[in-house]
Amino acid sequence: MTEHTTHPVVVVGSGHAGVAVAAGLRTRGWAGRVVLVDAQHDVPYERPPLSKDLLASGAGDRAAPLRKEDWYEAKGIERVTGQAVDSIDRDARAVILSDGSRLPYHRLVLATGSRARELPVPGADLDGVLALRTHQDGLAIKQSLVPGARVVVIGAGFIGMEVAAAAVKNGCAVTVLEFQDRVMKRVTSPPVSAFFERLHRSQGLRLEFGAAVTELQGDGRVERVLTSDGRTFEADVVVAGIGVLPNQELAEAAGLACQDGILVNEQCRTTDPCIYAAGDVTRFTSPFSGASQRLESIQNATAQAEAVVDDVLDHEVKPSEVPWFWTVQHGVRLQTAGVMHPDDEVVVRGDPERGKFSVVYLREGRLAAVDTIGGLADFRPAKKLISTGLLLDPARVADPGVKLEDAVIGTGPRPGAYETAAALV
Amino acid sequence: MSNNTLNVIDRDGRQHAVEWEPEQSLMEALRDNDLPVLASCGGTASCATCHVFLDGDVVESLGERSEDEAELLVDAEGFREDCSRLSCQVEFEDRLDGITVTLAPEEE
Repeated sequence: MTEHTTHPVVVVGSGHAGVAVAAGLRTRGWAGRVVLVDAQHDVPYERPPLSKDLLASGAGDRAAPLRKEDWYEAKGIERVTGQAVDSIDRDARAVILSDGSRLPYHRLVLATGSRARELPVPGADLDGVLALRTHQDGLAIKQSLVPGARVVVIGAGFIGMEVAAAAVKNGCAVTVLEFQDRVMKRVTSPPVSAFFERLHRSQGLRLEFGAAVTELQGDGRVERVLTSDGRTFEADVVVAGIGVLPNQELAEAAGLACQDGILVNEQCRTTDPCIYAAGDVTRFTSPFSGASQRLESIQNATAQAEAVVDDVLDHEVKPSEVPWFWTVQHGVRLQTAGVMHPDDEVVVRGDPERGKFSVVYLREGRLAAVDTIGGLADFRPAKKLISTGLLLDPARVADPGVKLEDAVIGTGPRPGAYETAAALV
Repeated sequence: MSNNTLNVIDRDGRQHAVEWEPEQSLMEALRDNDLPVLASCGGTASCATCHVFLDGDVVESLGERSEDEAELLVDAEGFREDCSRLSCQVEFEDRLDGITVTLAPEEE
């Protein structure tokens, strides 16, 4: 244990994953040093509100802290702020900071997160072209969402639609340009997209599909957005929400295996046994579907952080939690458990017209994912069914009067889900 | 506004005197004092991992739960209509000084 007390666990990045690792190590008894390195100076803060409550005019500008400022010192967590990690010396087990100093590590945790993908078109660097990732980004967007402003949002994913909703609410004239044929296509099914399209349009949003942006034009500041079908959209401000890229360069340069994300196993270990990665930056195999995935969510960040802490402390890593996600748009919550696939059988429970329904995704007769819209009643039962992998009767699943757990017709467990399934029957 | 002091009872029945600062939600006060409150959704009433029990009259004085909170709580471990709240949804108020907060059982 001497090494533990002399050499620290160094955590790079203080988003949800990084702070959860530091907090978990401390509260669960790690006696050695814990160093949290962050290129930013802010007190680490919650990210979900940045695209939601923060943008509302009249709401406060504060970003809720993950822990209050003096907590870190009180817990003996050393914060190194305003410094990036430039490189990793794996042989010597040290990181080199941007001021040239070296920081030795016993274990290294890369929680470097992701960054907004930039528009790959001319004019993307004009003033007034914004993206949302940090608190500062959020404040810049909020300031530009003034009544009457012509706002063009590029991309109809969670971030784009949340920003569009806030902009409409703040009195802006808002257009969303989406290359695909419906909103949130990557993560949900047509009935859910259709519901949210109706909701947004009823509030005054203009939605344009099949709109591939080719250029942004303006004299220093953005004035218009051009699309491949020859149309022009006047804009005072443009917000791009076209996905994120994992911040994996540090790992790549150190020779760790990366493939659109740092590759990690169930213990969140990279290909170097002394180096872990957690959060948005990782790619891993889903224990539920076997698919290789990168999950950009607070749930994944927190769960992976816990796995890191368990493994560093030589505890057994707990079985994975079913991943879950949420978005809130015009006050309507879409909460999802599991990851849907376009080939899944889509079963709608309840009546979308009433603003409250669920969509269940069945794969080989088993629950693979659920979307709950405007109500959470099916959320936890569905999440449980995803992890147990029991066979369901689609006809009963479609009847909102039948509880999901009462639609179980057998075990037929997937490999790996057998024990849990057997225990339930 | 000065800080409130909470009497927190953890899942092992141990008592803790916890400082609650005016800027914090009740969940943040618990989390900053290392009580095992996961708050895995970051305080947005999307999970039930910050579920606590408060005295019935305190819960009554806090007013109606939002629809999301109510639906999450109904299914939560140990839910009690008269006592259960998600602590992320309870904002600081001077009058809540000295209240007792009991952590609800952990979700499976």
